Amino acid sequence: MSNKKSQLKLAEKIMSQVKTGQIKMKPKWYFVVGSISLLSGIITLGMGAMFLVNLTVFTLRGRGPMVSWKLQMMLKNFPWWIPVLAVVGVVLGINLLRKYDFSYQKNFKLIVVSFVLAILAAGFMIDRLGLNDHWSRRGQMKQIYQRLELKDESVRPHRRLN
Amino acid sequence: MLDLSKLSDEEVIEITRNKDKEVYAEVVKRYQKKLMRYAKYLVNDDDRAADVVQDAFIKAYVKLNSFDSKRQFSSWIYRIVHNEAINLINKYKKEKPLFEDVNFDSGINIEEEYTKKEIEKMVNDCLEEIPLLYREPLSLYFLEDKSYSEISDILRIPTGTVGTRINRAKLIMKKKCQIKKVN
Repeated sequence: MSNKKSQLKLAEKIMSQVKTGQIKMKPKWYFVVGSISLLSGIITLGMGAMFLVNLTVFTLRGRGPMVSWKLQMMLKNFPWWIPVLAVVGVVLGINLLRKYDFSYQKNFKLIVVSFVLAILAAGFMIDRLGLNDHWSRRGQMKQIYQRLELKDESVRPHRRLN
Repeated sequence: MLDLSKLSDEEVIEITRNKDKEVYAEVVKRYQKKLMRYAKYLVNDDDRAADVVQDAFIKAYVKLNSFDSKRQFSSWIYRIVHNEAINLINKYKKEKPLFEDVNFDSGINIEEEYTKKEIEKMVNDCLEEIPLLYREPLSLYFLEDKSYSEISDILRIPTGTVGTRINRAKLIMKKKCQIKKVN
């Protein structure tokens, strides 16, 4: 009997809040915006990570396979913030992917591996297609590239861009 | 006059969202007892279970427009109760340690030894002895009659993991129940 009483009490408490407007349903558009933001977030992080991977490849390529300078100099001058930010972007992207139902319905490890490989592949492809060379000469990203090249030249002043 | 008791959960939700918010009382009526029972399996305390269920109903009402009526409402609201219960448990930090000396690969098939009714009784008697990780899927399967697919949606784990955890839970439960009988 006391169980029934407490159940009635609970139902009354909840419904009184509903009737008086103390609790209100969030509108549908709120959740639509949330879904769009989630998807945009994943795409932005993915693209950001892709660009940063590409910058890493560009910076490494600039140095080339030749090891005529000391390893210490390379470690000192390498812009580590670029690959670190890329990794942070990938990790955040993976955390956002977990919000979707497919993250537990499908093989999530495979999804994560595919996501990471897609970002790495796209980062390499951008460099392979010569877009780095194009962006380093014109456009809004010229300054970023020039700063990276200046850093490189301070280590290897005789390096020339092709 | 519409007979709400004949409508499915999803139809009742549609009416609540679009026509009459007070129809939500039907949802509370249908799920209150089940959710109280489930919350109690998780938090082992009547008052805290009531808090969990109240908060869950309120959250469900506030987020009602996010519910996809093509999915099962039951799994959705159980998920909300699960989240609220976990928040409360983390707040009070009461957790049973993993029962370590069970050989999970012992090959024991508990269903060969006991009938479903006997397993249900064991689950009722020994549930609070079992760590939360295994307690949830075990109670959902044996006491709430949920399918693996529904448990997967409630706990957001793959269906395979549901099966593994239930099997491990049964082994732990068998050991715990035997110890309890001896004591």
